[in-house]
Amino acid sequence: MLAYVLKRLLVALPTLLLVAASVFFLMRLIPGDPATVILGDAATPEAVADLRLAYGLDRPVLVQFALWIERALAGDLGRSITSGEAVGPLILARFQVTAAIVFASVGIAVLLAVPLGMLAAWKQNSWGDVAAVAAATFLLSIPSFWLGLIFLLVFGLWLGWVPVVGYVTFAEDFWGALHYIALPVVTLALIETGVLIRMARASTVEVLRLDYIAHARAKGVPEWRVLARHAFPNAFAPTLTLIGLIMGSLLGGIAVIETVFTLPGLGRLLVEAIFARDYPVIQGVMLFIAVIYVVVNLIVDLLYPVFDPRVTAG
Amino acid sequence: MRLRASFLALAASLGFGLAAPAAAQDTLRIRLNADIRSTDPGVNRDANTDGLVWHVLEGLVALRGDATVAPMLAERVEVSDDGLTYTFPLRQGVRFHNGQPLTSADVAFAMERYRARETNWRCRGDLDGAVTRITAIETPDPQTVVMRLERPSALFLTTLARTDCGQTGIFHRDSLNADGGWRAPVGTGPFRLGEWRRGQFIELERFAEYAALPGEPDGLAGNKTPHVDRVRFTVIPDDAAARAALLADNIDILPDARTRDLRDLRARPGLTVHSSPSFDLQIILMQTTDPLLSDVRMRRAIALALDVPELVRALTEGGSRPSRAPIPVGSGFHTPLMSEVPARDLAAARRLAQEAGYRGQPIRIVTTRRYEAFYEIAVLAQDMLREAGINLELEVLEWATQLQRYTRGEYQMMAFGFSARLDPSLSFEMFTGPKATQPRKAWDNPQVQAMLEDSMRETDRARRIALFETMFRQLMEDVPVVALYSSTNNAVTPAHVQGFRSWAVDAPRAWGVRLARR
Repeated sequence: MLAYVLKRLLVALPTLLLVAASVFFLMRLIPGDPATVILGDAATPEAVADLRLAYGLDRPVLVQFALWIERALAGDLGRSITSGEAVGPLILARFQVTAAIVFASVGIAVLLAVPLGMLAAWKQNSWGDVAAVAAATFLLSIPSFWLGLIFLLVFGLWLGWVPVVGYVTFAEDFWGALHYIALPVVTLALIETGVLIRMARASTVEVLRLDYIAHARAKGVPEWRVLARHAFPNAFAPTLTLIGLIMGSLLGGIAVIETVFTLPGLGRLLVEAIFARDYPVIQGVMLFIAVIYVVVNLIVDLLYPVFDPRVTAG
Repeated sequence: MRLRASFLALAASLGFGLAAPAAAQDTLRIRLNADIRSTDPGVNRDANTDGLVWHVLEGLVALRGDATVAPMLAERVEVSDDGLTYTFPLRQGVRFHNGQPLTSADVAFAMERYRARETNWRCRGDLDGAVTRITAIETPDPQTVVMRLERPSALFLTTLARTDCGQTGIFHRDSLNADGGWRAPVGTGPFRLGEWRRGQFIELERFAEYAALPGEPDGLAGNKTPHVDRVRFTVIPDDAAARAALLADNIDILPDARTRDLRDLRARPGLTVHSSPSFDLQIILMQTTDPLLSDVRMRRAIALALDVPELVRALTEGGSRPSRAPIPVGSGFHTPLMSEVPARDLAAARRLAQEAGYRGQPIRIVTTRRYEAFYEIAVLAQDMLREAGINLELEVLEWATQLQRYTRGEYQMMAFGFSARLDPSLSFEMFTGPKATQPRKAWDNPQVQAMLEDSMRETDRARRIALFETMFRQLMEDVPVVALYSSTNNAVTPAHVQGFRSWAVDAPRAWGVRLARR
């Protein structure tokens, strides 16, 4: 198992290098540079040149890339051009906020969606099934920013149950933190619930048609046991893959949610860095997101055999 | 209890960081649409950074509400007859936030850092030849600073007071690390820097020993007594969320309400909308080196086809006055002549376009959706020019890309906006200059550039106004740009906020403000 994990991580290195190189050079191809953005409408050619010199942007792009890679391999992702902060700690600090929201919301979504999807499949074409599919489609269709703003309006403004802006950590004020993250978590959980219900239902429908399920029923196995013991492991495996993809995608930043709810997360950091052409932050965040994808997919692959014995890790 | 402890342990293990304690009840909470860049005055900055820094640091001089310059840390300013020597006797009793008294040595220390090339101070070039050159800074006694200039300049004091220059704020040497790098501002302002949680908020604390000037608050000058214990600038990027935060009593000042929200906000009981004309400029730039637009008749045709008053009314819902002059209507240098807006004349526009050889080919106007007004200006201009048979095509770019195109002069037309320029010379300078060395300049007219330089040297107000009026008449002849209006700053406060005033610059001021219900 350990050898498999190490092999997977080694195989990921070229991918990460490719991501790093692609992001680095693509960003240089996009018009606009940090010096111009910082100086704004009063940017004299001399001032732009001075700033580019200060940030090392006057050097050939290949030299800049080599220097960045050399430092990155030593664990130094550089400093933000905009704020001067070290990029590594900045990413980790912002990731903590995003991770808190994502883990909570995906957890809730899984707990809601998997049973609902399986029940809908079990009672296929019933009113309950139609209602579950309709609800999933509805949730899928709602833009997250719109749902977030509606929640802010209803629960923050009209009912006054939660604050509209701000963020508090669990470590400092547990109940306060619940107030602050309740709306973003619920918003994200509902959106992801829609996706997962559909997947859980579809894969359960497939599994329930298989011979071994009919065999189990013919043997007189109770229906709840057919679902829980025989259908669930096989039906959950594709959903697990989707959960992995969702986790990878969301942990890379939930910029819209973070903007609407004023959360200092990774997505907002990336978007602001792109607008400011803050190259070190963009490069660092994109590399970090690539690492997240590698790790999440590895975890999913390692979990797969638990649900589907036909698959073996390694 | 064990459950709660388990939750806390779980939270800690998940790394729930970046705590933000809820604001105390004696805290004035102000919306900030983006985090500040740094606390280093005039170095790594933007408008939000300037607006934060001016609560903490003060310069020798400061801008009044009408953009004139007043003494701040200086008791007064004495100028020699030849305009080459400025003497600043310092005010008695001024202390830094660390308790140290302000001395001339502190001023000299701060000025040396500003003038050092490695500091990258935004205004170093202005005081190193562009506006004038400081040749010496002397400290004949602990309470007097003397600055000697290479040549006289009407802009010297304005440059020192400019907000984008960080007001040339005087900081104590404790503001720097041992290696000379910037750490945090230790200034003389009414508030001292408290906590800055990046991406979340910046908190300022009242400076109890602040040496306030007598009288009334006036721009960044005058009486700046702090009345609240703390000020929290909360970063809320989304406009709708900021509005909701105001209505939910999560913030006390919304300094930049959207025009489209004003009607609703005015109708709500207990809310007050504070409106002030800004010193910025919304404008359409034309590239005079473009084959088509190099013909002045074509540029005049475009200007005549625009219904500027209608465009401004539609964009600002009557909040701003249309003006074809770059000097803002709120400036003491804006004269009645500059308020004249030529009437729309479609027939003349068609005739001039035809004479210029225009045959309906598309003209591209660059704009962005980052700033609502830029995009709307381009859309309305497109519609108005169509009625004159001029075919305008929108090229919508992301802001950094548009900024680069502007800097390089790579456009035919561009909907643009200039940030506030507080001196009338700078209002012309922002688009006037030689394209060969400064491609971003829209107006390359050597005679006008000579007049502009005269206006920067001239210290007599009447002669300056005469120069500006001459330049304005030439601007209307050459039409390299169509100035439209200066926007209006709209801040909104609930009833418990008292003493707040909006002003020409769009960042708020927390001094003089009281919280009545606390």
